[in-house]
Amino acid sequence: MDDEQQSLFNRRNFLKLVTTVPALGAIAALVSPLLRFLKPNVERFQIYAPTAQDVARGEAISVAKLSEVAKPWDFKYFVFSQKYPQYTPEGFKAASVPGVVIRLPSKLKLYDTASGRGPLSWVRGIGKTPKVTETDVVVFSRICPHLGCIFNYVADYREVTSGYGGFVPPPNRRHALMACPCHLSIYDPADSQLPGRVLSGPAPRPPRTFLFEIQGDDIVVTDVEPGGIAKKKDAGGMA
Amino acid sequence: MVADLAGRTRDWFRERREKLDLFDETLVARQENPIYLLGPLLYYFWLITVATGLLLMIWYEPTTTGAYSSIERIQHDVPLGWLIRGLHKYGADALITVIFLRLWRMYFLAEYKKPGELSWMLAFLGLVLGMISGITGYLLIWNQRAFWAAKVVLTTPVYFDELPIIGSLKFGSMIAYVFLGGPAIGQATITRFYALHFGISLVLLILVEVLFFRTRRKRMNMSFLPIVLFTAMLVVITLILPAESGRRADPTRTPLPILSDWYFLALYQYVKYTPPLWAGLGPGLLINFGMLVPFLDRSRGRRPLERPFFFVVGVLAVIYFLAFTALILFNIAVIDRDPFVIMLITLAILSAAFIWELRYRRKQRQRPPAQPAAPARAAAAHS
Repeated sequence: MDDEQQSLFNRRNFLKLVTTVPALGAIAALVSPLLRFLKPNVERFQIYAPTAQDVARGEAISVAKLSEVAKPWDFKYFVFSQKYPQYTPEGFKAASVPGVVIRLPSKLKLYDTASGRGPLSWVRGIGKTPKVTETDVVVFSRICPHLGCIFNYVADYREVTSGYGGFVPPPNRRHALMACPCHLSIYDPADSQLPGRVLSGPAPRPPRTFLFEIQGDDIVVTDVEPGGIAKKKDAGGMA
Repeated sequence: MVADLAGRTRDWFRERREKLDLFDETLVARQENPIYLLGPLLYYFWLITVATGLLLMIWYEPTTTGAYSSIERIQHDVPLGWLIRGLHKYGADALITVIFLRLWRMYFLAEYKKPGELSWMLAFLGLVLGMISGITGYLLIWNQRAFWAAKVVLTTPVYFDELPIIGSLKFGSMIAYVFLGGPAIGQATITRFYALHFGISLVLLILVEVLFFRTRRKRMNMSFLPIVLFTAMLVVITLILPAESGRRADPTRTPLPILSDWYFLALYQYVKYTPPLWAGLGPGLLINFGMLVPFLDRSRGRRPLERPFFFVVGVLAVIYFLAFTALILFNIAVIDRDPFVIMLITLAILSAAFIWELRYRRKQRQRPPAQPAAPARAAAAHS
C-alpha cells in the first residue's frame, strides 16, 4: 500500500468517524425520552435527579400521650402516614413511616434557637422553627438510614448482644438501645451530643428524627426529617 | 488504524463465536465425565423453570393485595399447583446451582482461556442475569423475606450518589427509583419486577434459539437417563419439602435476621461488614473481575497448579462463599472485629499466592523447554 492509498484510507476513516459521532448523538437524543417512560415525574432534560415530587408528604398526628411514656426508657411505637408518588396508573400511595417515642432519663438540647444548631437543625430547611428545644422525649423514625429496614427499640442491652451479632456496649451505654435486624447497626437514643449516635454497624448516620410539639398531654408529630435512605447528614450534625 | 482495530475485533469475535460453548459441551474430549453434563443440564433446568413459570402465570395475581393469597391458593387449592410451584422453585434453584458449579469447573480447569473467553463471559453473565431473575421473582411471592430482600438490594445503588464526580448525576437514585417505580416498594415495584422476571428469560430464550438455529448446535447434549433422573429429583424434593410461602409482607416490621435465597446470603453477610457505598461497589467489582478473568490471567498452563495465583483466588472465593453463608445463617457478625481479621487473612494469603506464582514462573524459566502436556480438549471437534 503506497502513501496515497494510505492517506485515502485515513480520509475515509475520518469521514466515517465524523458521520458516526453525530449519528450516535441523534440516536441517544431520540432514545433518551424513554427514561421518562421509566420515571415519568422527572422534568424534561433533567433526567437524572430525583425530583421534588418524589418527596413524601405527611399529615400531623398525635402519636402518644405523655402519660404513656411517663417513666425513663418508656417507649411507644407509632406509624406516621405519608404520601409518595408511585409510577402506576393510580399515582400516589400512602406509605407508613414507623417511628418510636422514647422517654429519656435526662433532658437533651435538641435545638439551639440562637445559633440554629443541634440535632433538629434540619427543621430550618423546611422553613419551620422547633417549638420543643430541650426535652427528655425524643422521637425517631424507625427507618434505618443504612438500607431502609425497620429497626427495633431494644429495652435490654443484653438482648442486643445476644440477638444482634454480639455487640457489647461500653459501660456508659449499658441501657436501652436501638438495633437493626438487617445489618446489625446499633444506635444509642440517649447520646447527649447526638441522639441516635451509631455505636456499631454499617449505618452512615443516626436515624432521622421527627419534629414534634406537646399539645396538652399529646405528643403531636408534624414532620419527618426529609431525605431518603442513605445520604450523609448535612453539615451541623455529625461534628 | 480504526479499521485495523475493528477488523481485529471482528476476527477475535468470529474465532470465539465458532468455539462458543453455551450448553452442549461438544468441545470437550472426555464427555463421559459427568461434570460435562452441567451444560446441557443448565439448559434443561432453564426450560423446566420457564415452562412451569408460564403455568404459574395463569393463576398468579401481581398485586400487593392479591399476590400472597394467590400464591397460597396455588400451593393449596389449585389442583397440582403445589407441583408446578415446587418445580418452578426447585428448578430455578437447580439452575443457579448448575451455573455456579459450571463456572467453578470452567475456572479451575481454565476453560476460559483462548478460545473460551466468550463462553466464560456469557456463562458469567448468565449467572448475573439468573440472580436478577431470582430476586425479581422472589418479590412476587410478597412475603416478609422477599420484601426486605428487595428493599435492601435496591437501596444499595442509592449510595452511588456518594461517588466523586459521577455521583452528582444521581444515577444511583435513578436506578433505585426506576426499579422500584417510586421511592418505596409498592404496586409499581411488583408490576416492574413481574415484567423483568418474565422478560429476562423471554429475551434470552429467543436469542439462544437464534443461536441454535444458526449454528445447528444440539439443544440438549445428554442421554435420556440424566433427564429422567434429574426430573425425578425435582419431583421428589417438591414432595418432601413443599415450597414455602413464609409470612405475608409487612412494611412496618423487619424480621430478625433477614435472609434471602441461598445464593444471596454470602453477599448479605458482606453488606453487614462494609460501609454502605462498598455494599454496592463490591459486588460490582466482583462482576467486573469475573468478566475480565480471561484477560487478567496471563499464565500459560491450564492445570490449577500451573497458575498458582488464580488457583488460590478461586479457592478463596469458594471458601468465602461457604463461610459467609454459614456466618449469616448462624447470625454471627462482630462488626468491629471481623472485617479487620478477614482483610488481614485475605491479604496474607494473596501475597503468599503471588510469591508462589513468581517462584513457579522462575522455575519454569530455568527449566529446559519440556512443555507440559496439552490439555484434554478435542482439537478438531468444531472445525
